[in-house]
Amino acid sequence: MAYGPSIRVSDDGGQNWTQIAEGPRYPEESGFALNRVWQIVPGHPSERDILYAGVDEAGLFVSRDKGATWTELASLTSHPTRSDWFPGAGGLCLHTILIHPDNPRRMWVGISAVGVFRTDDGGETWRTCNEGLARVPVGTPHPEVGYCVHKMVLDPDDPDTLYMQYHQGVFQSNDGAETWFPIEDGLPGDRISTELGAPFGFPIVISRSGDCFLVPLESSDQRTMRDGRLLVYGRRRGSDRWEPVGDVVPDEPRHVNVLRDAMTVDSLEPYGVYFGTTSGEVFCSIDGGVGWDRLPGQYGRILCVKPWIQEGEYAA
Amino acid sequence: MPLEVRIPPMLRDCASGQTRFSITANTLEEALRRLFETYPLLRVHLYDETQRLRQHVLIFFNGESVAWLDRLDIPVRTGDQLTILQAVSGG
Repeated sequence: MAYGPSIRVSDDGGQNWTQIAEGPRYPEESGFALNRVWQIVPGHPSERDILYAGVDEAGLFVSRDKGATWTELASLTSHPTRSDWFPGAGGLCLHTILIHPDNPRRMWVGISAVGVFRTDDGGETWRTCNEGLARVPVGTPHPEVGYCVHKMVLDPDDPDTLYMQYHQGVFQSNDGAETWFPIEDGLPGDRISTELGAPFGFPIVISRSGDCFLVPLESSDQRTMRDGRLLVYGRRRGSDRWEPVGDVVPDEPRHVNVLRDAMTVDSLEPYGVYFGTTSGEVFCSIDGGVGWDRLPGQYGRILCVKPWIQEGEYAA
Repeated sequence: MPLEVRIPPMLRDCASGQTRFSITANTLEEALRRLFETYPLLRVHLYDETQRLRQHVLIFFNGESVAWLDRLDIPVRTGDQLTILQAVSGG
């Protein structure tokens, strides 16, 4: 679990948490400050002791001893474009880390509001991968950065295919993020219309069977559900169109947001879809988004929802 | 001279489960140094790598923010308190 700039570990199912003494930390001489840990993901299945952490101020850390000690992959923060990295509203955060399922040396990271970077040599070198994404020209010397990626997922059957909820639209890449194209048929919003704007939201998730889900918001200016309707949209495998798959609370308006890590899919079949709102409610569908229930409890702002399967039962 | 230290409950696991405890020091500067020597896990929550006090953290010495003090070699006297506050947020 990330808590501010620290990482905490529980070995009793979350009852008690202990802070890692040698957590991610920039070298003092780097001049960077680690403000928050945003993302912790396991390494490739062939490297079971490895964990990665994405942080704000943007950078990537690796642990090769199951999280006991951490080292910065400084090749990313020493990228030639680093002087042109500027934060989005949520900060200068590295919020997404994806690892190629067949090649542990290929990884992608997403940084707001900088863009996508890919390494093909285990993090020794990085290249920008933002061609095709919409960008507001800001006149900085490096036009290859300045892209506000919100969340990104990898296709479970084709690791050259990625899907992205972007600040200005929803995109797909079929070539390992070399190029991106919009996939917005059926979504509210319109990238041509200045009034509506391109489809805006934060999370995007994908099931093992390749179904994608996201939660469109009103707009970049108004970051709540469109017309107060808590609508989840799905794009099923084989379809090229998004459809509203669940009007989660049809009888009550919910003028809320769903943050980028507050939505997830489990690995069961049929799979479950889960998300939490900024007003502290958690909703789930155990049939792939067809029917929805509100889970018991009212919480604070939901930052992250994770499912895990535990001896015949599951919890989120 | 003993100085009473108060920390937010969310950080108690960095201080052996305590939210109030004593540090013995002759000056405020020494008190801060001893605080982090005794409870090193606290430091990352209060200061970043550039040794700057984190934006969402306030450290009060007897009700005065240490960020506004010109010097830290202030003598510690009986009854002095060091209070650490942090704003909790997320996104």
